[in-house]
Amino acid sequence: MTDQANQSRRNFLYVAAGGLGAVAAGATVVPFIGSMLPAADTLAASKTEFNVSTVEAGQLVTIQWQGKPVFVLNRTAELLKQVDGHDDILKDAESKAIDEVQAEWMDTPEKRKFRSIKPEYLIVVASCTHLGCIPLFKPTPGRKDWGNSVPEDWYGGWHCPCHGSLYDLSARVAKGSPAPTNLHVMKYEYKSDTTVVIG
Amino acid sequence: MIEKMMKTQLFAWVDRRTGAEAIIKSQLTEYPAPKNLNYMWNFGSLALLMLVLQIVTGIFLVMYYKPSAEATFGGFTVAFDSVERIMRDVNFGWLIRYMHAVGASMFFLVVYLHMGRGFYYGSFKEPRELLWIIGVVILLIMQGAAFFGYLLPWGQMSFWGATVITNLFGAIPVLGEYVTQILVGGFAIGDPTLNRFFSLHYLFPLLLVAIVGGHVHALHVVHSNNPEGIDLHKPEQMIPFHPYYTIKDAFGVAFFLTIYAYIVFFNPQFAGYFIEVDNYVPANNLSTPAHIAPVWYLTPWYTILRSFESKLIGVLAMGGSLAILFLLPFLCRSAVRSARYRPVYRIMVIMFFVDVIVLGYCGHSAPTPTLKIVGQLSTAYYFLFFAALPFLPKFEKTKPVPEGI
Repeated sequence: MTDQANQSRRNFLYVAAGGLGAVAAGATVVPFIGSMLPAADTLAASKTEFNVSTVEAGQLVTIQWQGKPVFVLNRTAELLKQVDGHDDILKDAESKAIDEVQAEWMDTPEKRKFRSIKPEYLIVVASCTHLGCIPLFKPTPGRKDWGNSVPEDWYGGWHCPCHGSLYDLSARVAKGSPAPTNLHVMKYEYKSDTTVVIG
Repeated sequence: MIEKMMKTQLFAWVDRRTGAEAIIKSQLTEYPAPKNLNYMWNFGSLALLMLVLQIVTGIFLVMYYKPSAEATFGGFTVAFDSVERIMRDVNFGWLIRYMHAVGASMFFLVVYLHMGRGFYYGSFKEPRELLWIIGVVILLIMQGAAFFGYLLPWGQMSFWGATVITNLFGAIPVLGEYVTQILVGGFAIGDPTLNRFFSLHYLFPLLLVAIVGGHVHALHVVHSNNPEGIDLHKPEQMIPFHPYYTIKDAFGVAFFLTIYAYIVFFNPQFAGYFIEVDNYVPANNLSTPAHIAPVWYLTPWYTILRSFESKLIGVLAMGGSLAILFLLPFLCRSAVRSARYRPVYRIMVIMFFVDVIVLGYCGHSAPTPTLKIVGQLSTAYYFLFFAALPFLPKFEKTKPVPEGI
């Protein structure tokens, strides 16, 4: 058992057995990590139906979809006007950065600006894209109602209390905010004139 | 007393089968410790005490705690209600829960002082690098355990704190979303999150016990540093650990427990520092509290996180600020250990302690433009401190270290 051939054969067997053992151990990890991913019932497509006509003009309601908060804002003509005129201070005025901030129906500059199927009803995921807090609704322009939590030339929108991200009334993030992207737009469609199905 | 016990027949019987006498002698009655250790060397034993207390109180709390986010008829959740039941109905439940909640803060306080001792007297330097590194692993596991535990009462701070921290992992490129899902187990923090955090909150202390064993073992190989930071070899410079330091540690324990008991009995919330007021409001996933801050022992790192405008850089900086602790023994290249004989390092390290406290203050307060700049400057100093260490020996004139003690 001392000659060279046997020795290298033995080494090969060590490495082969050890390598296979490592592969098997690695494969065993898969079901354990897999078990930590969302379970089937959690993943099961959950849809939320909502009647937007219950939202008064200028009102914001927060509803729940898949355990996540969702903003439904009824924008008056006045609020819709406040969306204009500050594109230069937005990170992504056109909502093109990532898939989650756009939808197929955003096919015109107009729709990219208002970010909603019907301009008056803005529906977006209410989690700040920085670390998931729910931003506070501060719709009136200027500092009159909000003090110095917003900039002097505030155009109305949302202010995240956690780390100070600012969003305009189309939920587009302002430059200088820690949040990287606009609030996400989830899939939704109008089942009737006023009933919207989210998800 | 130990000598008397070791002379009994019963002990002889045990000794023949375990080698107990050799262990007791080498680790306790003949374990050499420097005779000049000051009170900063008490915090290791205090940390061990807190670990035991946390495990014991935790085991008893679990007898009543229920990890479920299911809604109850009262309009709250099973988890929140079970904690309130511990506080109101369970015999001595209030005491055990306050011991556990205050204990978490005291554990961190003791461990931070223990680490500060290591910084100041150069205890991380050769040959104790691995001892230090094991200690940093202990710190990280403690922070993990504290984070998991904080979700369990299912209050507003629990919920939103966990939301913020799990969202941090989303910043990791490519894998981020995956990692977040594995942590959360759903689309948002919910029942699956609570269950897995409870499981991990039970696991981590067991890991701690094992790693603390490694920490103590590594210590007993290289032996304690001392305030002078010099190598001690002569027998007359050493005293046996038992009875000299067991009695000193016991005195430290008595002193520490007095403070601990005072807080547990008279001021368990500690002005919102140990138990945040918002956490007595049941978790509501549709309303974020006006101001979210972690508990004080995590706020320095939280400030580092929010000092950067880019989410990814913030997360990297926070991770880096902890990871850099692993490198400390290799960054600090001076041959002299103790800050007593390193005039420049002494000023730098004291400023570093102040800096960490300032970082903690900024992280605990609501963000304002001024505090943001203070936080950014403190973050800069935090990293500058470590970055300057390798170059320090080039211009620092160390004082002559003593030959002996």
